[in-house]
Amino acid sequence: MALARVRQLTYRYPGAARPALDSVSLELRPGEVACLLGPSGGGKSTLLRALAGLVPHFHGGVLSGSVEIRGIDTRRARPAELAGTVASVFQDPEDQVVLTGVGAEIAFGLENVGTPPAQIEPTALAALDSVGAGHLVERRTQELSAGELQRVCIAAALALDPQLLLLDEPTSQLDPDGAEDMLDVACSARAVVVSEQRPTLALERCDRVLFLEGGRLLLDAPRDEALLWLAEHRSAYLPQARFASGMEDLGSGEPLVRLERVSYAYGTRHAVGPASLTLRRGEIVALEGHNGSGKTTLAKLAAGLLEPSAGAAQLRGRAAYLSQDPGRYLVCERVDEEVALGVGGDLERARRALGLVELTGYDSRHPRDLSSGERERLGLAAVLVTEPDVLILDEPTRGVDPERKALLARLLRDTADLRATLVVTHDPVFAADVADRSVRLGLVEEPAHV
Amino acid sequence: MSSVPALVVLALVAAAALLADRTATVAAITVLLLVVCLRAPRRRRWPYLVGTLVSAAFLFLLSPLLASYGGVVLWDGPSVPVLGRLDVTDDELRIALFQALRLAAVGLAFAAYALLLDHDRLLQAAGKLRHSVLAVALATRLVPSLERDAAGLVEALRGRDVVVEGLRGRARLLSPLLAGSLERSLNLAESMEARGFGRPGRTRVPKPPWTTLERAAVLAGLLFVLGAVLWL
Repeated sequence: MALARVRQLTYRYPGAARPALDSVSLELRPGEVACLLGPSGGGKSTLLRALAGLVPHFHGGVLSGSVEIRGIDTRRARPAELAGTVASVFQDPEDQVVLTGVGAEIAFGLENVGTPPAQIEPTALAALDSVGAGHLVERRTQELSAGELQRVCIAAALALDPQLLLLDEPTSQLDPDGAEDMLDVACSARAVVVSEQRPTLALERCDRVLFLEGGRLLLDAPRDEALLWLAEHRSAYLPQARFASGMEDLGSGEPLVRLERVSYAYGTRHAVGPASLTLRRGEIVALEGHNGSGKTTLAKLAAGLLEPSAGAAQLRGRAAYLSQDPGRYLVCERVDEEVALGVGGDLERARRALGLVELTGYDSRHPRDLSSGERERLGLAAVLVTEPDVLILDEPTRGVDPERKALLARLLRDTADLRATLVVTHDPVFAADVADRSVRLGLVEEPAHV
Repeated sequence: MSSVPALVVLALVAAAALLADRTATVAAITVLLLVVCLRAPRRRRWPYLVGTLVSAAFLFLLSPLLASYGGVVLWDGPSVPVLGRLDVTDDELRIALFQALRLAAVGLAFAAYALLLDHDRLLQAAGKLRHSVLAVALATRLVPSLERDAAGLVEALRGRDVVVEGLRGRARLLSPLLAGSLERSLNLAESMEARGFGRPGRTRVPKPPWTTLERAAVLAGLLFVLGAVLWL
């Protein structure tokens, strides 16, 4: 018997001009791992929400067709009633944490589904341990890094021991090793639908591949068959091996950023260093490292947004910094005005920058109406428009589909001579595509000299 | 002290501040609560302390101008449309100080609740009031999350060569902060629904029993309120 059955599902969000899902049909069997691929805005998150019953109960809108989970029609059961059978991990970990303590956060779902009281704490601890986050149990959720928070959210879902686990870009904040471990744990002994924009790891572990575009299911096939289809139709999504890029600064361009044995601490918490880094005009450097190794802090030091506690930082020219999750930091009512903010309201330059990131025609849209991948590109346009000497991008591919990642890599490469570029990323494929050299930051306990 | 008895004690101390008749008593309670609040990390405590103390200061400065309690006139000001004649008397100043201290005491008690108590423990102990307690706990997080968002917004704009300066520049951040906050609340509500919130048959983590010290503190709080009503 199928665990989940979707029949001719068509769904339109309230006020939307076109459906987010269009005649989607599929079945999931117990224990099956399905990798859900497709471009940003293609309907992946909506399909996951439909499987969790959140569409239409939470979002409203118009739905036709049906979704059944273990024979229960989701139109007749509220999402809370499906909790435990189904568990979801959403895209943005910061927006799904309810409580302030990590232990209590994991216990929250267990309490809601009626886990016997004596089992709650041991189950919560076991779930945290399974994702390598047992040491976080006494921490406050507000103090965690994005990667740590993502582990906590996954642990909260795994603690429920669901039959169907729905993962919406569950590794976007994790380093490659962490992402691999996480997917190994998540994809064992249960049915999983995992939506990924870094599909290599998910494709290695899945039984089936689903490809959604424009709300339509273009592909539903076993993995081997799907890989052939992807090779023919959507090659950007194929698993890619990364090449080993150089580590050393061999460039000859004008040095624009020079960090010499810099350190930084947030209050009493040591964040990075001592570390050294030089960025030269004309080169693109990928900054990689484990979660918590201080990549973002080093990037901010390079951009001049932070002053080092020790060591020396030199910046020549103007720097622009694209923060993680830039979609959270949008201030204007229109897309073009958002981009023009950094150039004194010059809308013509703003439109050119929007064209560079393939957002032409989005000028009058409200920035918060865009999908997460589109917001990421909007954030990129907002820094590119300032034509900086030093461009620093912190996780610029989060939520961006592989085809657009390739375009972004090409854009950065084509304009590399204009500036020095530092890309902080957990995406080894993107790093290999875009960077001249890669710099790996060690954990804070192991001072980095790069 | 764990969260529930600490909350009871804070509520009792705030109640004592509202019930006491002597300015010196309310002032002592205010100072006590201020000392308690100063145990919170500096970065987290300043919005609460500034908000409370500025509100109390405004009350102290404005209420003598608007109230009419009689007494010796210390300052006789102009007549203003709607408000009438502005003056300040010694009685008005005394009453304004008393009310400002009361406001400060209640504000500081809330600050201590927001800054120092473990809201998760309160939620676990809430029983049938769980929904209301969760709503209050989430609302309490609004100030620190808005503060964090504002800092992130200013930094993101600096990264785009946009400097946020002056009152007008900061006022411009209010709308995106509010929009972001609403967006986050929707996402949070969705996450809670997906995790079974509101479903019947919920259980809860066993809570530890109160210690002797905690029982004694609550008893002392009750006696303090009684004392405030009868003698202070």
